[in-house]
This record gives sequence, structure tokens and C-alpha cells, in this order.
Amino acid sequence: MTAKPKNLTRDWGTQPANRIARLRRAATLFPGKEAPPEAIGRLLAAVIESGDRVCLEGNNQKQADFLAKALAALDPAVVHDLHMVQSVLALPEHLDIFERGIATKLDFSFSGPQGARLARLVGEGRIDIGSIHTYLELFARYFVDLTPRVALIVAEAADRAGNLYTGPNTEDTPAIVEATAFKSGIVVAQVNEVRDTLPRVDIPADWVDFFVHSPAPHYIEPLFTRDPAHISEIQVLMAMMVIKGIYAEYGVQRLNYGIGFDTAAVELLLPTYAADLGLRGKICKYWAINPHPTLIPAIESGFVESIHSFGSELGMEAYIAARPDVFFVGADGSMRSNRAFCQAAGHYACDLFIGSTLQIDLAGNSSTATLGRITGFGGAPNMGADARGRRHASPAWLKAGRESHPQDGGMPRGRKLVVQVVETYREHMEPAFVEKLDAWKLADTAHMPLPPVMIYGEDVTHVVTEEGIANLLACRDDDDREQAIRGVAGYTPVGLARDRRKVENLRDRGVIRRAEDLGIDKRRATRDLLAARSIKDLVRASGGLYDPPRRFRNW
Amino acid sequence: MKQSYHEASARKRLLGVLDPDSFVELLPPQARVTSPHLPALDLPVAFDDGVVVGAGALNGRRVLAASEEGEFMGGAVGEVHGAKLTGLLERAVAQKPDAVLLLLESGGVRLHEANAGLIAVSEIMRALLAARAAGVVVIALIGGTYGCFGGMGIVAKCCDVVIMSEEGRLGMSGPEVIETAHGVEEFDARDRALVWRTVGGKHRYLLGDADDLVEDDIAAFRAAAIRALDAARPPTLDNLLAEHAFLAQRLHLFGTCRDALDIWRALGLKTAESVALLDTAGFLEAAEKIRLRG
Repeated sequence: MTAKPKNLTRDWGTQPANRIARLRRAATLFPGKEAPPEAIGRLLAAVIESGDRVCLEGNNQKQADFLAKALAALDPAVVHDLHMVQSVLALPEHLDIFERGIATKLDFSFSGPQGARLARLVGEGRIDIGSIHTYLELFARYFVDLTPRVALIVAEAADRAGNLYTGPNTEDTPAIVEATAFKSGIVVAQVNEVRDTLPRVDIPADWVDFFVHSPAPHYIEPLFTRDPAHISEIQVLMAMMVIKGIYAEYGVQRLNYGIGFDTAAVELLLPTYAADLGLRGKICKYWAINPHPTLIPAIESGFVESIHSFGSELGMEAYIAARPDVFFVGADGSMRSNRAFCQAAGHYACDLFIGSTLQIDLAGNSSTATLGRITGFGGAPNMGADARGRRHASPAWLKAGRESHPQDGGMPRGRKLVVQVVETYREHMEPAFVEKLDAWKLADTAHMPLPPVMIYGEDVTHVVTEEGIANLLACRDDDDREQAIRGVAGYTPVGLARDRRKVENLRDRGVIRRAEDLGIDKRRATRDLLAARSIKDLVRASGGLYDPPRRFRNW
Repeated sequence: MKQSYHEASARKRLLGVLDPDSFVELLPPQARVTSPHLPALDLPVAFDDGVVVGAGALNGRRVLAASEEGEFMGGAVGEVHGAKLTGLLERAVAQKPDAVLLLLESGGVRLHEANAGLIAVSEIMRALLAARAAGVVVIALIGGTYGCFGGMGIVAKCCDVVIMSEEGRLGMSGPEVIETAHGVEEFDARDRALVWRTVGGKHRYLLGDADDLVEDDIAAFRAAAIRALDAARPPTLDNLLAEHAFLAQRLHLFGTCRDALDIWRALGLKTAESVALLDTAGFLEAAEKIRLRG
């Protein structure tokens, strides 16, 4: 050791020393790194100190559910005032931790299924929300000012030394572990099995302090499986417009999107409609997206060169392993996903983002916020945003840039395509187009610093509805933009309040394009155009490799 | 491009199965012959009461045809709906066309019309057997979303020929009815795998209840209907006795089986578990040697 200068009294090693103290407390419980499942509560009580920042791994797919239960069962008299930093609030235990008084502060990204309960607990003052982030922002803050003291993570398997195999569902684990392990934190992993040898090492043992064989395998949600049986003919029509009016128009080769029935329709038209248009090899070659089953026909028909993924999708394992030219598959034969890298890829390396939303206002701002629920952001705001730090060019990016920046001798720019595809009326006859987003009111009632907008209007380049495409890049001013949006808003109050002459003028200028303007025969927009109409069709398209979860089968 | 029979409307199916531009509808929607019972219950009516009937051509041969619309009350048979079918079959007795095509999609009797619906179904059966006795081949096509159940399931089995797709379902009591009457332990109607392997087209084909199994494609149904045009099985005493013997033998062989999978294994189908995933051609090949023929 080097000698300390005498005039410096500060101890520069409090964090490593505190880490050693925690490990010593744990060492009295059991020998080695493998915790017996029945000792998990005592282990957590030994390594977690009140006031700690704790990351509980859970995203929208895999969940450290055993560790979540154990944490929620701790004695709040012993462990309290935790500051939870985690991607997603998905399980009831994630909120039990607050309700029981173990944690008080929360920084997170997404809370889909727990959104209503979260809003209630915030309203009661039981949870103090720091910030609601996007995934990339939260991961970034793990390395800046929200570094976890303790990370409770989840892996597929561990070996005796504590190396971890996270496999296809690697997801957030690398980002969490790296931030924790290299800042003197404690890493505890729950694993489905302990094996003598692992298929591969995803997380090295010396970054892992403890692992526990969970009594039941961790939960994984098949979140991105869409049964083609539920795709409507309106969605087929919108998909035809997206393919012909945007993908073909701009030559979009690299893309990412929010997975839903609208985009599933687009995928399922690639082998049929897009192939008929001669677009194979010209569009949709490189993807940053989860390996969901409605992609199978597009892959099999030769559209897709490469797919990198945020996570995996239940049932797709064997199919992915059999297509290593397309997916990121390790030497062991299984895929590795990585949410942080894939989010970066979606932001910087894709020319187009397409997604759906619940509400769009007259400026094109879109939000999925509904009153009484705090649901957060996930990844869409980063991918559905022009990447202003981007410097590499591509034909699609340059064409969009030329449209948005007039060629008047000013600085030429590129531009990401950000497409919102919505039916004018959502379910329960709720209009998708509104004068004012519910996000304003939610911000007010939930004391948010800003209305929770998923994608800002200034980033949106196209709005697609069953009535047509509004190209917001080609709008000259705010009035153009408002009328372009009204002009595709159908029979919603927003759509009915359009200035008809102005809308016809925008149509003449090509700012609004209807199906017929694009040469699309609406009578062809039937479900017969889909490359697969059922889950069984997808299994067959995969040559029997796709193994759908039981709830999606009729066999 | 294939056109799904399963997802098509009754009219689209019928027009796709018959020769182009050959169909002339009887009592079309413009005639507004609607249910007299539904308005009393504040329920909407359909201008064709959920069934399209008329005359047309199939491969140049003269046929009468009907097509039930599952999207209206699940294709259920009310008084008018039933009378249209009965009338069509009685017309067949009088006109002796080359065949009657019944594109069936029905949950059975329309409970809202109670006795009128029940009587209608028995009249359909009587007229159907009269047509067959008069030498007219009656062909049932089953591949719609709502299946073919209840009284119309019996009507289907009164036909000379039954053509199904894998997606089609044929049975007496529908899955939900069995669950309601006998409990979820007896039959879990939400277990879609169980439903299809119990009443689905492949099982019906293996058991000899369906005579032909085709792809979910309107053109495939049309081709099978053309094949069936000369497959009359007149309801003679000998034929009936043979059918009874066949059913008794089937019950003897499989009466103790608890699940369709047991029957498939007993039939000698080596890969019983993979039946559901076989495509139609592969399935027909696997079934060729072992299926029962009624």
C-alpha cells in the first residue's frame, strides 16, 4: 500500500470497506457463494443496509421474482428507507416493498401492469418518485448518480464458482451488474439451476457475490407474441400504406419499432405485398427488435439480414438457434440479448421507428398516459426521437433530412423517420386524436414536472391512419402541421374540425396521401394478404421450430 | 392467393364455391324477410335472417345452395332461417338439381325463438332426407369460425357427404354447452387444444364423420364439392344398416377412450401428438391407411 499524505484525513476507501463489512455479516450465514434458498431473507438482511440504493432486476420480460418476494418479506424495523432503482415495476411485490415500509424512494422507467396501484401509492405519499426515465437514461444514471449499493439480479443458471449464464434473456443484467460490481456494491443472483458447467459465461463469477437456486424458475412474460388471428383488415390497409408510402418511398433498410398488431400486420405483409412490389432486398434488412414470432415469415422469405434484440421471446429459442446468420447467437448456440446495446442501436443505427400510441394532439405529440395510472416510458422515447448526435449518413436519413430542411443554402441535415400508426378510433370508441393530451391533467394530479409525452411532435415525421399518411416533414408551418393531422384524423372530433380546402391543398402538395393517391386498391386490404393468419401458420412457417406458449395454441 | 374460407362471410364463401356469376339468390336481403320474434326481444334482425339461399352452378352442373352466416347470432336457426333451408331442400325434391350444397356455420337452434327454432330444425332434416330419397346428393361444407353444432350438427350428419377443413368444427353439443351442463372437469371449453382435437376437422376425418378434409381455402372447398357431386349415398335400408353397424363398431373400439389422443393412438397413428401441426397434405397421407370410413 502507498502511504497516505499526512494532511489528508479523508478515507478514500469507505465503499470497499463497507462492502467487506457486508460480506463478513453474510459469511456467518453459510459457507461460499451459494445461498440456501431458505437463508435468502437472512442474506438480504445481512447485505442490505437501511437507506441503500437497491436495484431489483425486473424488466418487462424476465423477473427476479424470488428475490423480490424475499425483499418484500424483510422486517421493515430492520431494513427501511431503501431507494429502489429499477427498470420496471411489474410484480405486486415491487410495490409491496413500499407498502410495507421497506423502501420509500423510487427511480424507474416503466410500470405497465402496476400503473394504477403505483399512482395510488404516490397519491397517498407512500412512494417518493425521483424521476421516471427511459431505459437508456436509467442505465446511464446507474453509472452517474444512481449507482446501486446492492443489485438483486436473475440468471438462467450458475456454476459452482458463481459464473452466470443469462442466455437469450440477458436483457438488463450486464448494465446492472457492471455498475454495481465496479462501485463496491453487492450482487446477488437468483438462478433457475446450478450446473457444473455452463453453456457460456455471460457474467463472470468475480462480479457476483452470491447466488441462490430459486425454488421455481423465474417468470418470463411472452410479452411480444401477437396472434395474427386478431389483426384487422384496417390494420392490413394501414400496413400497405406504410410499406408503399414510407418504407418503399425512403428505402428504409434499418429499423426498430414498438411491437403491436399494427406493426405485426406490416411484418406479415412483407412476404406477400412487399414482395409483390419488388421490395425484397430493398427494405427492412437490419432490425433492432425482439425476436417475436410474427417476424418468422419475413425472415423465411429472405427479407431480413440481421436482428439484434433487447430481450428474447418465449418459445422462439429453437428457431433463433437455428438462424444464427440472422440473430446474435453465441458459440454455445443460444442467443444473447442486451437491452442497453439494443436501445443504443435503436437510437443511433436505425433510420426509422414506427409505433402506435393512445393519443396524438394537434402538434403530433403522442402519449400513452391515462388518468389514474403512472406507467412510465420504457424505450420508445429514445428510439422514437431524431438522434441529433448522429453523424453517419444513409439514403433514407438523407432523404428525410432534405424534406425537413429546405435546400436554401443553409446547413444540410439528416433526419430519422419517426412514424406513428393509429386507427382514428381506438377500442371503446375512444378517439386517438385529441385537442389536448390527458398527459397534461396527469402531470397535474401526479405532481410531475412535465406532461409525460412518449414522442414529441417535433420528432414525428409521419402519422398513418386508415384515412391516409400525413407527412409532417413536408409541412411548412404549424398550421400546415395541424391541418395535416386533422386531415388523417377521420371522423374524430379533431378530424371533423378540419379546414377542408386546406386539407385538399395539402393533398395536392403530397403532404397528405390517401390510399388511392399511393395506388393502393383498398379492396386488396383483406386478411388473405397476411403471410400467416394464425399462430399455427407461424409454427408451420418456422418448420416446427417455434414452440408457442400454451395460451396461444389451439392444439 | 388463398382465400380463407374460415374467415370469409357466408356470401363470399358461397360465391367462391359456385361457378362465377352463376348464383341467383332466393329471398335476398332486399326482400326483408326477417325474424318475427327478435324485435319482441329488442334484438336486431338481419335482412336475410343469417342464411343465403339460392340456385347456381358448380362446374357447370345445376345446384341449389345455402350458406349460413356465423356473424349473425352465431348462425343460429330461427323460424325464417330454418324455413329458407327447408324451402330450398323441398325445391330440390321438386326440381331435382345435381346437388344441394349446404355451407353450414351454426350453433344450432336460436334459443330466442325456442320452439319455432326447434321445429325448424326437424323440418330441415325431414326435407333433407326427402331430397336424398329423391336422388339428390346433399353436400355439407364445414369450415366457418363458429363451427357446426346442435341441430345443425345433426343436419350435417344427415347429408350424403361432409367436407371439412382442419379449422372446421362439427359436433352435437358445443364446447361451452358441455361445460355449462356437465362442469369444467368434464370439458374445459377454454382449452382450445382440447376443443379442436375433440370436434375439429382432423378428428372428424379420422373417425369417418367427415368424408373429405381440405385446406382452409375457398378454392379447395370448391374442388372438394365438385368431387362430391356424384357421391350420392341414397338412404336405403341396406345403407342405413351398414351405417348403424359402422357406428356400433366404432363405439366398441373407442367407447372407453377418454381423449381424442387415445383414439388416434388406438388407430395406429404413430405421431399422435404431432397431428395438429401436420399440414393438410401431410395429414391426409398419415391418415390414409388408418382412418375409419363411414
